[in-house]
Amino acid sequence: MPDSAISKTSAMAPARAPDAVRSRSTSLRARGEPFVWLLGGALAFGVMMIVGFLLLVLWNGIAAFFPKPLAEVRLTDGSKLAGEPTRRERYPVTPEQLGKLASAPRAAILAADGVSGRTLYRIGNYDIYNEDFRWVSDFEVTTVAYPAQLMFVERREWGPLVGSAVAMKLGNEAERPMAAFSAAAVTAAHREALARWERIRHLERGEIGRINHYLEQGRLRVRRAELRHGTASAEAQTARAAAEEQARELQKSYDAFSGEARDLRQRDATHLITFAEIGGKTKTLPLSGVVRMYAANDLHLMDKLAVYVSRWWEFLSDEPREANTEGGVLPAIFGTFAMTLLLVLVVAPFGVVTALYLREYARQGRLVSIVRISVNNLAGVPSIVYGVFGLGFFAYILGGTIDQVFFSERLPSPTFGTGGLLWSSLTLALLTVPVVIVATEEALAAVPRSMREGSLACGASKWQTIRNIVLPRAMPGIMTGIILAMARGAGEVAPLMLVGVVKLAPELPIDGFFPYIHLERSFMHLGFHIFDVGFQSRNSEAGKPMVFVTTVLLVALVAAMNASAIIIRSRLKRKFQGSQF
Amino acid sequence: MAVAAAPQQKPIAQGGYKTVCHVKRGPAGAVLEIGGFNLWYGASQALFEVCMAVEKGLVTALIGPSGCGKSTLLRSLNRMNDLIDGVRTGGLVKLDGEDIYDSRADVIALRKRMGMVFQKPNPFPMSIFENVVYPLRVDGVNDRATLQEACERALRGAALWEEAKDRLGESALGLSGGQQQRLCIARATAGEPDVLLMDEPCSALDPIATAKIEELMDELSGQYTVIIVTHNMQQAARVSDNTAFMYLGRLIEYGDTEEIFTTPSDPRTQDYITGRFG
Ligand SMILES: Nc1ncnc2c1ncn2[C@@H]1O[C@H](COP(=O)(O)OP(=O)(O)OP(=O)(O)O)[C@@H](O)[C@H]1O
Ligand SMILES: [Mg+2]
Repeated sequence: MPDSAISKTSAMAPARAPDAVRSRSTSLRARGEPFVWLLGGALAFGVMMIVGFLLLVLWNGIAAFFPKPLAEVRLTDGSKLAGEPTRRERYPVTPEQLGKLASAPRAAILAADGVSGRTLYRIGNYDIYNEDFRWVSDFEVTTVAYPAQLMFVERREWGPLVGSAVAMKLGNEAERPMAAFSAAAVTAAHREALARWERIRHLERGEIGRINHYLEQGRLRVRRAELRHGTASAEAQTARAAAEEQARELQKSYDAFSGEARDLRQRDATHLITFAEIGGKTKTLPLSGVVRMYAANDLHLMDKLAVYVSRWWEFLSDEPREANTEGGVLPAIFGTFAMTLLLVLVVAPFGVVTALYLREYARQGRLVSIVRISVNNLAGVPSIVYGVFGLGFFAYILGGTIDQVFFSERLPSPTFGTGGLLWSSLTLALLTVPVVIVATEEALAAVPRSMREGSLACGASKWQTIRNIVLPRAMPGIMTGIILAMARGAGEVAPLMLVGVVKLAPELPIDGFFPYIHLERSFMHLGFHIFDVGFQSRNSEAGKPMVFVTTVLLVALVAAMNASAIIIRSRLKRKFQGSQF
Repeated sequence: MAVAAAPQQKPIAQGGYKTVCHVKRGPAGAVLEIGGFNLWYGASQALFEVCMAVEKGLVTALIGPSGCGKSTLLRSLNRMNDLIDGVRTGGLVKLDGEDIYDSRADVIALRKRMGMVFQKPNPFPMSIFENVVYPLRVDGVNDRATLQEACERALRGAALWEEAKDRLGESALGLSGGQQQRLCIARATAGEPDVLLMDEPCSALDPIATAKIEELMDELSGQYTVIIVTHNMQQAARVSDNTAFMYLGRLIEYGDTEEIFTTPSDPRTQDYITGRFG
């Protein structure tokens, strides 16, 4: 405000402000503008960090499966290597390295403050080189080329192979050089080999696995009869006879299946392909041992996309191999999803009922206040503590008792007496139930009293009022609590490592055998998968892309589950929006 | 409207508050008898020694300045005040001779007999139809035809049928404020209660809807007993048979509406009616 205005004011009212001239303009501090800027800036910073992190993960995850070119590098010492350039960095060159260099490159490095660039190549061929990755400093390189015949071969064992295909042998034919086969013939042979391999796996894992399952069931029936009636009892005798009869039956089909599998394996062993790595060493492997092969420098965009899509498909629909650093994560997706679903099924009714009692029925006194404060504080207990509790109480005490009562014939191997899907869900339910209770209590408290009174005045009982008016009206708030609980539960890993998550779970918790849903089984989890692949595997560099892809997947899974819950909630909310002002 | 029986002088209140007016008697006697009723919100007393007998089949108006305890008295009659923490009561309220504050009294059955319309409309977050038939639903009535019939009758009575008949399935929260209030009136009458408690039912309504509600009250009187709180003197004079004037938690005067409005015996009643305060 201009000075004249102030002086005019004071001149008009000299009696009110005799000595000090009061400023009538609002100071910046009074208006609080700097604080608003500060807070806004902090918000922007926070949001930027989160968005930046998500973008980083997303970009790395999306790019991970895109086929990279293969470089052939000739080094100053005359040797050659071939591999995917993975990343570059600058590093200080050690004095010994400098000492061995010729004068020209040494001068160049010294001019650059002793720092040189280097590239990490994924050279593959772990079985030949004993390493998967190799750093190559810039001053070691003479030439870099991208020859068209270099192939990137993903194998079932030993990780990728980099080299060129030299020969192939199909069945009883003699081995012929690669040039004798058309590209279509190679693809067809490969496809046939993969189909054969699938069939073998189906026979050995599926059919023979089923026979083993029935045999085990028979054995358990005998054991149960023995435990219940004594070893020499008539019941045990008949059970034994029945089991033997069944075993004879099963043996017949077992012979058939294993015979077919043996034949297929023999056939498979005659379909071979030979590769030569860059140094000239050759490696022969069965054609079915090749998951995917492509000439990386000879791909058109469509071919690259095909490789990309097929890798994603494998990732989403297959089991892991090579200590989880390759293959897919289907069991982990399934495990995460099943565990979260089970968690919600447990936590929602339990939390809502607890909150209903606390808010609507319990007499609001000191005891209820203490309970409420305790519940709120439970949310702050470190999650690993819940893991320890879950293992001790659920798995050992509860599960151990269940085993003794219902599954005594399987002892000493535990059924429920060890970590599993059910105990994991219950542990996480315990961990997240405070969130649901607090949110539900708040939602219940926010239901206007006039609505309850309206219902009661109509002659509804307290329960009818809660059922018909209070709960529907509080539903969006309750959903918020469930969403928060779900998000927290789906991302929690630490307690799960104690109560049921494993590195590799061969059996899904759902299969074709009664009772179809096996809640006692241990399972895989995307969060643990990230930890395991990234930090626990032999080859953390190879697992890096998997870490990003799995993170993207986990974030996407949690986001998808949250989004569906949020959609349900907004549907509910719309129902309660009035147009009255 | 029932004609006044032989004028009878009846001291209604104790504690120095006496009425000289005559209560218009219904054909069936009193349905509600309130005797020496006190009510405390925590430490502060809101009702003092209220004594009155509400005649069956008549319309009784409760008037008085804001904050004098009209709503409190009304809510005491269907024990709505039970829901408020720290409320204590003393004295008698008898419905057809039975003490409603007795420890064995069935509150739910009581409320089914007492329909209530609140000062502010409070529709439920459901469809219009479900709102109206809610009292029947809680009684376990699920027959579609019965519900539809009850819904139409109640909505017609509340002068809402024409506006709502094509949108019965829509959310009641989409109605205007006045429509919502009429919906609440329909809801209160749908359960066919014996006594209808109305707390300023017309404060959000336009003159036409108000006239319709008054018409409804006129129709209802005879079969129902209506107790209505109102700030509108003309309305009280138009619709009610008896009028009770309350002031600072006390019942000052209670009697035949005509007499209260023409020859009030208490100077405060006189002042209030003529608009000198309140
Ligand atoms: N829930 C409550 N807790 C404490 N005091 C209350 C409560 N409700 C009402 N009162 C008090 O009781 C007295 C009577 O209130 P009441 O609502 O019955 O007045 P009223 O006559 O209905 O007024 P109005 O015409 O403004 O609706 C007031 O002094 C009010 O402050
Ligand atoms: Mg009121």
